[in-house]
Amino acid sequence: MSDLVLDGVTVDGPQGRIVHPTSLTLRPGVPLALLGETGSGKSLLMQAVMGTLPPRLSAGGSVRLDGTDLLRLDAAARRALWGRRIAMLPQEPWAALDPLMRAEAQVAEVPRFLNRAPWAEARRRAGEALAALGLARGERRYPFQLSGGMCQRVALAATRVAGAGVLLADEPTKGLDTALRDGVTALLRAEAEAGRILLAITHDVAVARGLGGEVGVMLEGEVVESGPAAAVLAAPRHAYTRRLLAAEPAAWAPWPRAETGGVLVEGRGLAKRFGAQRLFEGVDVALRAGGRVALFGPSGSGKSTLGNLLLGLLRPDAGEVRRAPGLVAPFVQKLYQDPVAAFAPRRTVGQAIEAVVARHRLDARATTRWMEALRLSPGLLARRPDEVSGGELQRFALLRAMLPGPRVLFADEPTSRLDPVTQQEVMDRLRDALAASGAALLLVTHDRDIAGKAAKDVLALGG
Amino acid sequence: MTAARIGWALLAAIAAFGILGPLLAGDPLRQDLSATLQGPGAVHPLGTDQFGRDMLARLTHATRLSLGFAAVAAVAAAVPGIALGLIAAWRGGIVERALVSLADAVMALPGLLLVVLFAAFAPGEFLPLYLGLSLALWVEYFRLTRGVAASLLARPAVEAARLFGFGPWHVLRHHLLPELAPMLVTLLAFSAAAAVTAISALAFVGIGLRPPTPEWGSMMTELLPYHAEAPLQVLLPGLLLALTVLGLQLVAGARR
Repeated sequence: MSDLVLDGVTVDGPQGRIVHPTSLTLRPGVPLALLGETGSGKSLLMQAVMGTLPPRLSAGGSVRLDGTDLLRLDAAARRALWGRRIAMLPQEPWAALDPLMRAEAQVAEVPRFLNRAPWAEARRRAGEALAALGLARGERRYPFQLSGGMCQRVALAATRVAGAGVLLADEPTKGLDTALRDGVTALLRAEAEAGRILLAITHDVAVARGLGGEVGVMLEGEVVESGPAAAVLAAPRHAYTRRLLAAEPAAWAPWPRAETGGVLVEGRGLAKRFGAQRLFEGVDVALRAGGRVALFGPSGSGKSTLGNLLLGLLRPDAGEVRRAPGLVAPFVQKLYQDPVAAFAPRRTVGQAIEAVVARHRLDARATTRWMEALRLSPGLLARRPDEVSGGELQRFALLRAMLPGPRVLFADEPTSRLDPVTQQEVMDRLRDALAASGAALLLVTHDRDIAGKAAKDVLALGG
Repeated sequence: MTAARIGWALLAAIAAFGILGPLLAGDPLRQDLSATLQGPGAVHPLGTDQFGRDMLARLTHATRLSLGFAAVAAVAAAVPGIALGLIAAWRGGIVERALVSLADAVMALPGLLLVVLFAAFAPGEFLPLYLGLSLALWVEYFRLTRGVAASLLARPAVEAARLFGFGPWHVLRHHLLPELAPMLVTLLAFSAAAAVTAISALAFVGIGLRPPTPEWGSMMTELLPYHAEAPLQVLLPGLLLALTVLGLQLVAGARR
């Protein structure tokens, strides 16, 4: 297997150049992680290599693999390489797998249709591929019977079973909790160590560190820094790389201690199940006035459900929740994982905020004060939720939640969809807003570091 | 979008014919037995029927009747359907199950049969026709509204609105209706087409409206025996019916 050489690769769109000339060499056995925020062009660069750019974008420069310039091939010739030579790992494998097919059958389809192997041989190869990833016992199961990590392995097996020596992974750890993230990183690292070429796109510095190999940092369509991961991450030269490293939750300063008062919400012996699945049992938790409690756990451990029980949005199957008198809407507020879904889609952000001000006859100057405190520009008020960036919209959601003067704020994974730098900004503003208002915080997160920095009381669920 | 434009143009032309025509054309009921089944001419631009009545006058009145009927029937089905759909999605539980069972029961009956049943009680009257069509067509509105509203109500935005102390009207106005409206407009066009077809089909088999009321379906029936002498007269009501339904379908289809 030869190197994959990107020489002066560009991506141009109707509004001009999006990715500036980029040259990278990917060697078998040495993973390359491209770090960067949303909109930095890292996904487009990968799509240019794969040949899946959206119709109105075009790639320039050259991408050479085994003496062929991939960019000079026509669409049919490039498609012929997919799966056989170059393969792309799906972003959220549980969504990419067919829910009605057993694991082995999904993997066997690939050699059957890409390599035209007879079914018997395709099954044998699928079985081997799954066994090699430690999934021999899961091959007869359906995706819903597999854990997230197992789904990731099935997807990986399907991705490379047809013999692709080049693996492209676009945000392979997006939305994963810490344990699952590290598992996927180790899996990908093993792929590279087996002699494959691996290009991974991520905004998570921990993934780049875990992969070892090389790292490239992208900013506004340019690779601003690259080199061996150990060297770049230990001694970053570019200002943006330094910011990226400082934004890692592990590097944050712990939040200052808060003055706490009496118990606002208390849950005792709480249990909840959904159908046959038991989420948790016998959970005790108490949130004091002005206090901060973090619920931490992997996806599906029931931490959001526990938060909703405490807020009274759901009822527990067993146990009881006691809330201080008067602790009802609007004095309990909530921040959501996806801020876009928390606003009515066809109304502007300003209208949404204005409605809350009018409903509770609030002083309109409160909005202005919060806008300044949260560093939001007034020009954004005229936009709709989907026209505002994720970090800004989450800060607007925080502003809106703060308006009625809540005593408890339930933040349900408020930053898990944001880039690290944006995540830090939103969490810093959340910290300030809580300090200014004296509201108590119930934080749900899958990131152990964030839980530890924000709260002294960390309740770990599941696993 | 061209299909929608053609649809709108068709509907506009037919509506203009139905609204302005009756003002200009003569009496659709005046008979002239000395001039029956005449071809197009200076006095009668589209000829006359078997009783010497002016075809143009009868067609414009029939168009007005069908369009008005379609509009009222579609609204008569939409209002209860949307209201019950919203109630089912909002309340859930036993209310929702009861309404869904009711809708399923209505779906099990052929729609036209319901209309015939009602029309039999008071032949020639409009009210039973509206009642029958409303009963047959509300289910579509109910099912669409309930399904879409249920998924909208499960959105974080609605939970957030409740946490801010907003009531059902706020949720309805800002979260449900803006999303539902485009789909309901599409459905309105479809059920208007169904109503236009239904009234003509009923009149064609002699149920519903009675002679001498000018109506496309009954005109076709009355003129059918004279198809050899007056092919144009038989063709015209059917053509108008087909164009109206086509216009409504094009408009509805493009909005999906």
